[in-house]
Amino acid sequence: MTAGTETGVRIPPASGWAGSLATAARLSLILLVIAVIVQSFWMAQARPQDLVTGLFGMADFIRRASPPDFSHLEDTLWPTIETVDLAIFGTVVGVVLAVPLAVLAAANVTPSRVLYFLARGIIGFCRAVHELVWALLFVTAVGLGPFAGGLALAVHSIGMLGRLFAETIEHMDMAPIDALALAGATRVQIFTHGIVPSVLPTFLGIGLYRLDENIRSSLVLGFVGAGGIGFQLMTYMNLFDYRKVSLYLIVTFVLVLLAERLSALLRQKLA
Amino acid sequence: MLRVRRLSLRYPNGKLALADFDLTVRAGELVIVLGGNGSGKTTLLRCIARTLRPTQGEVRVNETDLAELEGEKLRCARLELAMISQQSSLVRRRSVLANIATGSLGHHVSWFTALGGLPREELAAAQRYLEAVGLPEIGRQRASTLSGGQAQRVAIARALAQRPRVLLADEPVASLDPEAAEEIMRLLRRLAEKENLAVLCVLHQVELAYSYADRVVGIRDGRLAFDLPSAELPRETVRNLYLQDAA
Repeated sequence: MTAGTETGVRIPPASGWAGSLATAARLSLILLVIAVIVQSFWMAQARPQDLVTGLFGMADFIRRASPPDFSHLEDTLWPTIETVDLAIFGTVVGVVLAVPLAVLAAANVTPSRVLYFLARGIIGFCRAVHELVWALLFVTAVGLGPFAGGLALAVHSIGMLGRLFAETIEHMDMAPIDALALAGATRVQIFTHGIVPSVLPTFLGIGLYRLDENIRSSLVLGFVGAGGIGFQLMTYMNLFDYRKVSLYLIVTFVLVLLAERLSALLRQKLA
Repeated sequence: MLRVRRLSLRYPNGKLALADFDLTVRAGELVIVLGGNGSGKTTLLRCIARTLRPTQGEVRVNETDLAELEGEKLRCARLELAMISQQSSLVRRRSVLANIATGSLGHHVSWFTALGGLPREELAAAQRYLEAVGLPEIGRQRASTLSGGQAQRVAIARALAQRPRVLLADEPVASLDPEAAEEIMRLLRRLAEKENLAVLCVLHQVELAYSYADRVVGIRDGRLAFDLPSAELPRETVRNLYLQDAA
C-alpha cells in the first residue's frame, strides 16, 4: 500500500538508510523508557514476594488490633479537635496570605513586573517544599506541638492556594475591571468592587478543598510531633497498643470521609 | 464638550493608526463614527478615553487636555468621560444597583469604598439612573440574570452614575437583536438631549446612524473621511467609505 493515498497526497517513502535510522531511534527510545522503569523498581527494592509473606504480618496486626478499643473513644475527641483545628488554622492563615500574593502574582492585575516575579518566587518556594519538611523545620523552631503543624500547613497552603488563586484571577473576565478603571476607580476600589466579587465563589471553593486536604495532611504531620491524631497513632504504635491504633484509624477514616463530604457539599452550594 | 485636535497614534512597529484626526462633539449632540474594520474607530475612542496614549494631538473635555495627563491627574480628569463597550462589562455576581453605583466610585475615594462599601446616596441615585434607562424594577436582580439588551442599558446607567459630560460608546449594539439595538440608540439619543451629554458612538449599522445621529463622521485608514450632518450625508459617500476599505 502506498503511504498517504487516503488523503490523496503521496508521501515519498524514506530512503533505506534514513528509514533504518528512524527505526533505530524509535527502538532506542523504547529501550530507554523500559530501562527507566526497571531501574525505578530496583531503586524501590520492589520484591512482590515480600507482599505475600507480609500478609502474615498484616493478619497478625489485624488480629492484635481487634476489636478496636472503643472504651477509649472519648479520649479521641481532643486529638480529633486538635487535628481539625490544625487544618483550620493552616487554611485560614494560608488564605489570608495567599490572596495578596496571588494578586501580585497574576499577570493581568499585578502592579509591577518585579512584584510579579517576587510573588511567584515566594509561592513557588512555599509549594516546592513538602508540608512534612516544613513541619520538621517548624518543630525545630517552635518545638513539638500543634503550632509547628499549623505553621507547616499554613506555609504549604500559601504555595498551593497562591498559585490557584493567581490562575483564577488570570482567567477572570477583564471587561468589568477595565470598565471600573475607565470610570476612575482607584486600584484598591477595582480590587474590592471588581476582582473580589468576580472570583470570591471560586476562591471559597478552592479554600474549602484545601481545608479538606489540610485535614488529611494534619493527620500525617502528627507523626513528626506536630500534635493531633497522627501523634496519638504514632505513640500507640510505639507502645504496641494496636487496639487503640485501630480505634484511631477508624476515627481517622470517619473524619476524612466527613470532611470530604462536607467540603464537596459546600462547594456544590457555591457553584 | 469634547474637542479632538490633530490626534495621531503611531504604534511602535511604525504603523500609523490615527492621523491628524479632528473632531468636535458638543453637549447634547450624538455623533456617530462609521468606518470599516481596522479603519481606526476603536483606536480613536481608546485614545480619547486615554487607554491608549496618542503620539500627538489634543483631547479636550471642556478645557482639560487629557492627552498629556498621567496617573492621579488622568484618573480625576477621566471622571468627565464615561465609556460603554460591546460587552456590558458588569460584575455578574453583583446586583444591578451595586453595579450601577460602582460607576460613581471615582467620586468617592475613601476607606469605606476601598473596603467594598457603596455610599447610600449613590445606591439611591442608582435607582434613578435605572429608571432613566427604562428598567425601574430590576435593581435587586443579579447582573448575571439580565438579557443582552437589559445588560447594555444597565451599563449605560452605570456610565450615568459617573456623572460624565462625555459618553463614548464602542459598538454598543453589536451583540444585540435589531429591536434591542433600536432601543439602545433611542436611549442614547434621549440621554444626549435630556442630560446634555456629548455622545460619541462607534457603529457598523449605517441605517441607525441615519436615524439617530446629529452628525456622522467617516474614518478610513485612521484619517477623517467626512464629517457631515446625517440629514446631508449622501448614501454614495457612505458606500464609498466601505467600498474603499474593502478594496
